[in-house]
Amino acid sequence: MAAKTLGSLTNVHIDFFLWLQSTRVATTIANSLFLLAGLSAVHLVGLTLLVGGTLVSSLRMAGIFLAGRPVADITGDPDRGVVVGLGISVVTGLLLFAPRASAAGENGVFQLKMCLLIAAASFHFTARRRIIRQPATSPGQLRRAGLVGLALWISVALAGCAFIFLE
Amino acid sequence: MVRESLWGFQILAAMHILALVLSVGTLIWFDLRLLGFAMRRCRVSELYRQLMPWTGAGFLVMCTTGGLLFSGSAASAYGNLAFRIKLSAIVLAGVNALVFHLITERTIAQWDATPQPPLAARLAGLTSIVLWVSIVVAGRMMSYTLY
Repeated sequence: MAAKTLGSLTNVHIDFFLWLQSTRVATTIANSLFLLAGLSAVHLVGLTLLVGGTLVSSLRMAGIFLAGRPVADITGDPDRGVVVGLGISVVTGLLLFAPRASAAGENGVFQLKMCLLIAAASFHFTARRRIIRQPATSPGQLRRAGLVGLALWISVALAGCAFIFLE
Repeated sequence: MVRESLWGFQILAAMHILALVLSVGTLIWFDLRLLGFAMRRCRVSELYRQLMPWTGAGFLVMCTTGGLLFSGSAASAYGNLAFRIKLSAIVLAGVNALVFHLITERTIAQWDATPQPPLAARLAGLTSIVLWVSIVVAGRMMSYTLY
Protein backbone atom coordinates (compact mmCIF):
# COMPACT_ATOMS: atom_id res chain seq x y z
CA MET A 1 0.00 0.00 0.00
CA ALA A 2 1.51 3.32 -1.04
CA ALA A 3 1.17 5.97 1.65
CA LYS A 4 0.33 9.51 0.65
CA THR A 5 3.18 11.97 0.49
CA LEU A 6 3.13 14.60 3.22
CA GLY A 7 5.44 17.02 1.48
CA SER A 8 6.23 16.99 -2.20
CA LEU A 9 9.84 16.37 -3.15
CA THR A 10 11.83 18.95 -5.08
CA ASN A 11 14.02 17.98 -8.04
CA VAL A 12 17.06 18.43 -5.82
CA HIS A 13 15.68 15.83 -3.38
CA ILE A 14 14.79 13.41 -6.16
CA ASP A 15 18.24 13.75 -7.78
CA PHE A 16 19.93 13.28 -4.42
CA PHE A 17 17.87 10.18 -3.57
CA LEU A 18 18.56 8.67 -7.00
CA TRP A 19 22.28 9.34 -6.59
CA LEU A 20 22.19 7.81 -3.06
CA GLN A 21 20.51 4.68 -4.40
CA SER A 22 23.16 4.29 -7.09
CA THR A 23 26.13 4.43 -4.69
CA ARG A 24 28.19 1.30 -4.14
CA VAL A 25 27.08 1.06 -0.49
CA ALA A 26 23.38 1.22 -1.43
CA THR A 27 23.61 -1.34 -4.24
CA THR A 28 25.65 -3.73 -2.05
CA ILE A 29 23.02 -3.57 0.70
CA ALA A 30 20.13 -3.87 -1.78
CA ASN A 31 21.61 -7.05 -3.26
CA SER A 32 22.27 -8.78 0.06
CA LEU A 33 19.40 -10.26 2.03
CA PHE A 34 21.86 -10.96 4.83
CA LEU A 35 22.93 -7.30 5.04
CA LEU A 36 19.34 -6.04 4.87
CA ALA A 37 18.18 -8.42 7.61
CA GLY A 38 21.27 -7.79 9.74
CA LEU A 39 20.95 -4.00 9.50
CA SER A 40 17.25 -4.22 10.24
CA ALA A 41 18.00 -6.38 13.31
CA VAL A 42 20.63 -3.96 14.64
CA HIS A 43 18.22 -1.07 13.92
CA LEU A 44 15.67 -2.79 16.16
CA VAL A 45 18.26 -3.44 18.89
CA GLY A 46 19.08 0.30 18.84
CA LEU A 47 15.39 1.17 19.05
CA THR A 48 14.95 -1.24 21.97
CA LEU A 49 17.80 0.42 23.86
CA LEU A 50 16.41 3.86 23.05
CA VAL A 51 12.77 3.22 23.99
CA GLY A 52 13.68 1.08 27.04
CA GLY A 53 16.01 3.81 28.30
CA THR A 54 13.52 6.59 27.76
CA LEU A 55 10.78 4.52 29.41
CA VAL A 56 12.85 3.97 32.57
CA SER A 57 13.99 7.59 32.88
CA SER A 58 10.64 9.13 31.85
CA LEU A 59 8.66 6.97 34.27
CA ARG A 60 10.99 8.14 37.05
CA MET A 61 10.41 11.74 35.98
CA ALA A 62 6.67 11.10 36.02
CA GLY A 63 6.95 9.74 39.58
CA ILE A 64 5.62 6.33 38.50
CA PHE A 65 8.87 4.39 38.72
CA LEU A 66 11.34 4.32 41.68
CA ALA A 67 9.72 7.48 43.05
CA GLY A 68 11.71 7.28 46.29
CA ARG A 69 15.05 7.63 44.50
CA PRO A 70 16.66 10.93 43.42
CA VAL A 71 15.88 11.70 39.75
CA ALA A 72 19.56 12.08 38.83
CA ASP A 73 20.38 8.59 40.24
CA ILE A 74 17.86 6.94 37.94
CA THR A 75 17.75 9.04 34.75
CA GLY A 76 21.52 9.40 34.09
CA ASP A 77 22.32 5.90 32.81
CA PRO A 78 19.09 5.25 30.86
CA ASP A 79 19.45 8.65 29.18
CA ARG A 80 22.97 7.67 28.09
CA GLY A 81 21.37 4.46 26.77
CA VAL A 82 19.01 6.65 24.74
CA VAL A 83 22.01 8.38 23.11
CA VAL A 84 23.70 5.04 22.30
CA GLY A 85 20.44 3.53 21.02
CA LEU A 86 19.75 6.61 18.91
CA GLY A 87 23.28 6.48 17.44
CA ILE A 88 22.86 2.80 16.49
CA SER A 89 19.39 3.39 15.02
CA VAL A 90 20.41 6.47 13.01
CA VAL A 91 23.49 4.82 11.45
CA THR A 92 21.67 1.58 10.57
CA GLY A 93 18.59 3.60 9.54
CA LEU A 94 20.64 5.62 7.04
CA LEU A 95 22.14 2.42 5.61
CA LEU A 96 18.65 0.90 5.27
CA PHE A 97 17.34 4.13 3.71
CA ALA A 98 20.07 4.36 1.06
CA PRO A 99 18.98 1.41 -1.17
CA ARG A 100 15.36 2.62 -1.32
CA ALA A 101 15.85 6.35 -0.88
CA SER A 102 13.39 7.58 -3.51
CA ALA A 103 10.56 5.19 -2.53
CA ALA A 104 10.99 5.86 1.20
CA GLY A 105 11.58 9.59 0.68
CA GLU A 106 8.20 10.10 -0.89
CA ASN A 107 6.35 7.78 1.52
CA GLY A 108 4.09 9.80 3.84
CA VAL A 109 4.52 7.45 6.80
CA PHE A 110 8.30 7.64 6.48
CA GLN A 111 8.15 11.44 6.26
CA LEU A 112 5.97 11.48 9.39
CA LYS A 113 8.47 9.20 11.16
CA MET A 114 11.33 11.58 10.31
CA CYS A 115 9.36 14.63 11.55
CA LEU A 116 8.56 12.81 14.81
CA LEU A 117 12.20 11.72 15.14
CA ILE A 118 13.40 15.32 14.78
CA ALA A 119 10.78 16.48 17.31
CA ALA A 120 11.65 13.70 19.81
CA ALA A 121 15.42 14.22 19.58
CA SER A 122 15.13 18.02 19.75
CA PHE A 123 12.90 17.81 22.83
CA HIS A 124 15.11 15.17 24.47
CA PHE A 125 18.34 17.13 24.09
CA THR A 126 16.99 20.62 24.87
CA ALA A 127 13.90 21.19 27.04
CA ARG A 128 13.85 17.77 28.75
CA ARG A 129 17.54 17.85 29.58
CA ARG A 130 17.28 21.42 30.91
CA ILE A 131 14.35 20.48 33.13
CA ILE A 132 16.24 17.49 34.63
CA ARG A 133 19.31 19.61 35.34
CA GLN A 134 17.51 22.65 36.82
CA PRO A 135 17.59 22.47 40.59
CA ALA A 136 14.32 24.40 40.92
CA THR A 137 12.22 22.14 38.69
CA SER A 138 8.80 21.35 40.13
CA PRO A 139 7.48 17.76 40.21
CA GLY A 140 4.74 18.82 37.77
CA GLN A 141 7.26 20.16 35.24
CA LEU A 142 9.34 17.02 35.59
CA ARG A 143 6.30 14.80 35.09
CA ARG A 144 5.13 16.70 32.01
CA ALA A 145 8.61 16.68 30.43
CA GLY A 146 8.96 12.94 31.11
CA LEU A 147 5.60 12.08 29.61
CA VAL A 148 5.99 14.33 26.55
CA GLY A 149 9.44 12.84 25.82
CA LEU A 150 8.12 9.30 26.22
CA ALA A 151 5.11 9.98 23.99
CA LEU A 152 7.35 11.43 21.27
CA TRP A 153 9.75 8.45 21.20
CA ILE A 154 6.88 5.95 21.27
CA SER A 155 5.26 7.76 18.34
CA VAL A 156 8.56 7.41 16.41
CA ALA A 157 8.50 3.65 17.12
CA LEU A 158 4.83 3.41 16.08
CA ALA A 159 5.50 5.30 12.85
CA GLY A 160 8.49 2.98 12.25
CA CYS A 161 6.25 -0.08 12.64
CA ALA A 162 3.62 1.47 10.38
CA PHE A 163 6.29 2.16 7.75
CA ILE A 164 7.49 -1.45 7.77
CA PHE A 165 4.09 -3.08 7.79
CA LEU A 166 1.93 -0.73 5.70
CA GLU A 167 4.15 -0.70 2.66
CA MET B 1 -7.12 -16.78 9.98
CA VAL B 2 -3.86 -14.92 10.64
CA ARG B 3 -2.53 -16.00 7.24
CA GLU B 4 -5.66 -14.98 5.35
CA SER B 5 -6.08 -11.55 6.90
CA LEU B 6 -3.36 -9.21 5.66
CA TRP B 7 -4.25 -6.52 8.19
CA GLY B 8 -4.44 -9.07 11.01
CA PHE B 9 -0.92 -10.18 10.23
CA GLN B 10 0.42 -6.62 9.96
CA ILE B 11 -1.16 -5.53 13.23
CA LEU B 12 0.01 -8.67 15.08
CA ALA B 13 3.55 -8.25 13.75
CA ALA B 14 3.62 -4.57 14.76
CA MET B 15 2.30 -5.44 18.25
CA HIS B 16 4.90 -8.22 18.53
CA ILE B 17 7.73 -5.76 17.81
CA LEU B 18 6.37 -3.03 20.12
CA ALA B 19 5.90 -5.58 22.94
CA LEU B 20 9.46 -6.77 22.36
CA VAL B 21 10.73 -3.20 22.65
CA LEU B 22 8.83 -2.85 25.96
CA SER B 23 9.92 -6.16 27.50
CA VAL B 24 13.53 -6.37 26.29
CA GLY B 25 13.95 -2.58 26.55
CA THR B 26 13.17 -2.69 30.27
CA LEU B 27 14.79 -6.07 31.02
CA ILE B 28 18.10 -4.83 29.63
CA TRP B 29 18.28 -2.22 32.44
CA PHE B 30 17.94 -4.91 35.08
CA ASP B 31 20.68 -6.90 33.30
CA LEU B 32 22.92 -3.81 33.15
CA ARG B 33 22.32 -3.27 36.90
CA LEU B 34 23.32 -6.91 37.54
CA LEU B 35 26.49 -6.25 35.54
CA GLY B 36 27.18 -3.19 37.70
CA PHE B 37 27.04 -0.86 34.67
CA ALA B 38 23.87 1.13 35.38
CA MET B 39 21.88 2.62 38.25
CA ARG B 40 24.50 1.38 40.72
CA ARG B 41 22.99 3.35 43.61
CA CYS B 42 19.72 1.50 43.29
CA ARG B 43 19.10 -1.78 45.10
CA VAL B 44 18.90 -4.75 42.70
CA SER B 45 15.71 -6.09 44.35
CA GLU B 46 14.04 -2.67 44.24
CA LEU B 47 14.84 -2.23 40.55
CA TYR B 48 13.56 -5.74 39.86
CA ARG B 49 10.24 -5.09 41.64
CA GLN B 50 9.73 -1.82 39.75
CA LEU B 51 10.77 -3.07 36.31
CA MET B 52 9.14 -6.48 36.22
CA PRO B 53 5.49 -5.36 35.77
CA TRP B 54 6.57 -3.55 32.56
CA THR B 55 8.82 -6.37 31.37
CA GLY B 56 6.15 -8.96 32.24
CA ALA B 57 3.35 -7.05 30.46
CA GLY B 58 5.49 -6.72 27.33
CA PHE B 59 6.46 -10.37 27.54
CA LEU B 60 2.83 -11.49 27.77
CA VAL B 61 1.82 -9.50 24.67
CA MET B 62 4.97 -10.67 22.85
CA CYS B 63 4.23 -14.35 23.59
CA THR B 64 0.54 -14.06 22.66
CA THR B 65 1.18 -12.25 19.38
CA GLY B 66 4.18 -14.52 18.69
CA GLY B 67 2.00 -17.61 19.19
CA LEU B 68 -0.68 -16.24 16.86
CA LEU B 69 1.89 -15.30 14.20
CA PHE B 70 3.42 -18.78 14.50
CA SER B 71 0.01 -20.43 14.08
CA GLY B 72 -0.33 -18.65 10.71
CA SER B 73 2.80 -20.25 9.29
CA ALA B 74 3.72 -23.04 11.69
CA ALA B 75 5.00 -25.56 9.17
CA SER B 76 7.31 -23.20 7.25
CA ALA B 77 8.44 -21.46 10.47
CA TYR B 78 9.34 -24.79 12.05
CA GLY B 79 11.73 -25.57 9.22
CA ASN B 80 13.28 -22.09 9.25
CA LEU B 81 16.82 -21.97 10.69
CA ALA B 82 16.40 -18.48 12.16
CA PHE B 83 13.22 -19.58 13.92
CA ARG B 84 14.99 -22.59 15.42
CA ILE B 85 17.84 -20.40 16.65
CA LYS B 86 15.32 -17.92 18.06
CA LEU B 87 13.35 -20.61 19.89
CA SER B 88 16.51 -22.22 21.31
CA ALA B 89 17.70 -18.82 22.56
CA ILE B 90 14.28 -18.20 24.20
CA VAL B 91 14.54 -21.55 26.02
CA LEU B 92 18.10 -20.72 27.12
CA ALA B 93 16.97 -17.27 28.32
CA GLY B 94 14.28 -19.01 30.39
CA VAL B 95 16.84 -21.41 31.87
CA ASN B 96 19.17 -18.48 32.65
CA ALA B 97 16.34 -16.63 34.45
CA LEU B 98 15.39 -19.77 36.35
CA VAL B 99 18.97 -20.42 37.49
CA PHE B 100 19.23 -16.79 38.61
CA HIS B 101 16.00 -16.93 40.64
CA LEU B 102 16.54 -20.39 42.12
CA ILE B 103 20.26 -20.20 42.93
CA THR B 104 21.96 -16.79 42.55
CA GLU B 105 19.12 -14.72 44.02
CA ARG B 106 19.15 -16.76 47.26
CA THR B 107 22.11 -14.72 48.53
CA ILE B 108 20.76 -11.37 47.30
CA ALA B 109 20.61 -9.96 50.85
CA GLN B 110 24.43 -9.92 50.83
CA TRP B 111 24.86 -7.98 47.59
CA ASP B 112 21.55 -6.18 46.99
CA ALA B 113 22.98 -2.68 47.58
CA THR B 114 26.53 -3.24 46.30
CA PRO B 115 27.34 -1.33 43.08
CA GLN B 116 28.88 -4.46 41.57
CA PRO B 117 27.04 -7.75 42.26
CA PRO B 118 28.97 -11.06 42.47
CA LEU B 119 30.24 -12.93 39.40
CA ALA B 120 27.25 -15.30 39.19
CA ALA B 121 24.81 -12.37 39.02
CA ARG B 122 26.98 -10.51 36.50
CA LEU B 123 27.13 -13.62 34.34
CA ALA B 124 23.33 -13.95 34.51
CA GLY B 125 23.00 -10.34 33.33
CA LEU B 126 25.50 -10.75 30.50
CA THR B 127 23.95 -14.05 29.37
CA SER B 128 20.50 -12.47 29.34
CA ILE B 129 21.66 -9.53 27.20
CA VAL B 130 23.50 -11.78 24.73
CA LEU B 131 20.53 -14.15 24.44
CA TRP B 132 17.90 -11.42 24.04
CA VAL B 133 19.93 -9.58 21.41
CA SER B 134 20.30 -12.93 19.59
CA ILE B 135 16.53 -13.46 19.83
CA VAL B 136 15.87 -10.01 18.32
CA VAL B 137 18.41 -10.59 15.53
CA ALA B 138 17.09 -14.11 14.78
CA GLY B 139 13.53 -12.75 14.78
CA ARG B 140 14.37 -10.12 12.16
CA MET B 141 16.31 -12.69 10.11
CA MET B 142 13.25 -14.92 10.29
CA SER B 143 10.93 -12.29 8.90
CA TYR B 144 13.33 -11.67 5.99
CA THR B 145 13.77 -15.35 5.15
CA LEU B 146 10.24 -16.60 5.83
CA TYR B 147 7.76 -14.04 4.44
